[in-house]
Amino acid sequence: MKKHREMIFITLLIVIMLVILIPTLLGGIGPIPHGDIRPLAKAYLNSTFNIYIKDLWTASPEAVAAIVWDYRGLDTFYETIVFYTAIVSCLILYREILGKRDISKGEGLSIVVKRVTAISLLGILVVGASTVLHGMLTPGGGFQGGAIMAVAPVIVIIVFSRLLVDTSRLSYSKVVTFRNLAILGIALTALIPIILGFGNAFIFQNQYKRSTNFSYPTYIFDVPMGGSLWFLNLFEGLAVFMAFYLAFNIILYSEEVSKEVILGEEYGY
Amino acid sequence: MLEETIFIIIGLISMISVLFVALAIVSKDLLKAIMFSAVQSTLYAFLLFLLMAPDIVLVYIAISVGLLPLISIVLIKKVGRYEKT
Repeated sequence: MKKHREMIFITLLIVIMLVILIPTLLGGIGPIPHGDIRPLAKAYLNSTFNIYIKDLWTASPEAVAAIVWDYRGLDTFYETIVFYTAIVSCLILYREILGKRDISKGEGLSIVVKRVTAISLLGILVVGASTVLHGMLTPGGGFQGGAIMAVAPVIVIIVFSRLLVDTSRLSYSKVVTFRNLAILGIALTALIPIILGFGNAFIFQNQYKRSTNFSYPTYIFDVPMGGSLWFLNLFEGLAVFMAFYLAFNIILYSEEVSKEVILGEEYGY
Repeated sequence: MLEETIFIIIGLISMISVLFVALAIVSKDLLKAIMFSAVQSTLYAFLLFLLMAPDIVLVYIAISVGLLPLISIVLIKKVGRYEKT
């Protein structure tokens, strides 16, 4: 019986693969574009850091950041909102225990582990911060840097025990506030051109355009700043870091506390 | 020549990653399965790097090698380490 089931499963997999593969190979999804017909990509890449066409450039040598936040800024903004809402709904599910102190009073791991972790924690945070702040120069950016930094609080909870996080100054309500401020920062960075240009600009505008006169900083000393990209990366990094911090804070509650949430209505919840 | 070498390395890494995926599926010890999937993620990070997507590598390493195994370990701590047959 078990053999039969496995055979059926394998046959099904092969059939599904063939159903997808054969139409694709026969050109069912339309003609596959050649290498030499990509004028759109060429146009974007040519104008990303082109000092001779300053009407179109984004002032950022990093083309991915420029396309993600400048040319397709609204896309990324919606993605950020989706992530933000996902974490909010995750928090709502656990609303009974949010901000509560955990009942476990552990001391954490041994002193050797604690010292080593303390040193490497600094490294993690610095790498994350530099990924965020150099998003317009090097590969990386807000989400990447935020995700790297998010590893730090998780390690803190495990190595230094939950008590340190519960008694630290970075309380639940503060983290939520910082996160909301970061999202507000993204929205404001997108809107500031309109506010300061008195309507003679558009949202997510980065540099000066022919019809407008607003411009975010292009260079600071001799470092290309990428204009609004730097600010957007910074706020995105903060928002992602705080979001992951909140999510892990909930997941790593001890069992007795998190049970309260899932016990059900018959126990009065 | 360089391009062919890179493609051969990409092929090799992909094959090894398939091996680790199979090991992760077969393994009855869930902790080992998480380790295998983390190794597979590391190999995928190499692939992305060779395919010239360094910005994806940065987020991929942090999430799939750092955060995802951690959540999974927390989960198996609650549901038990060994898969019942």
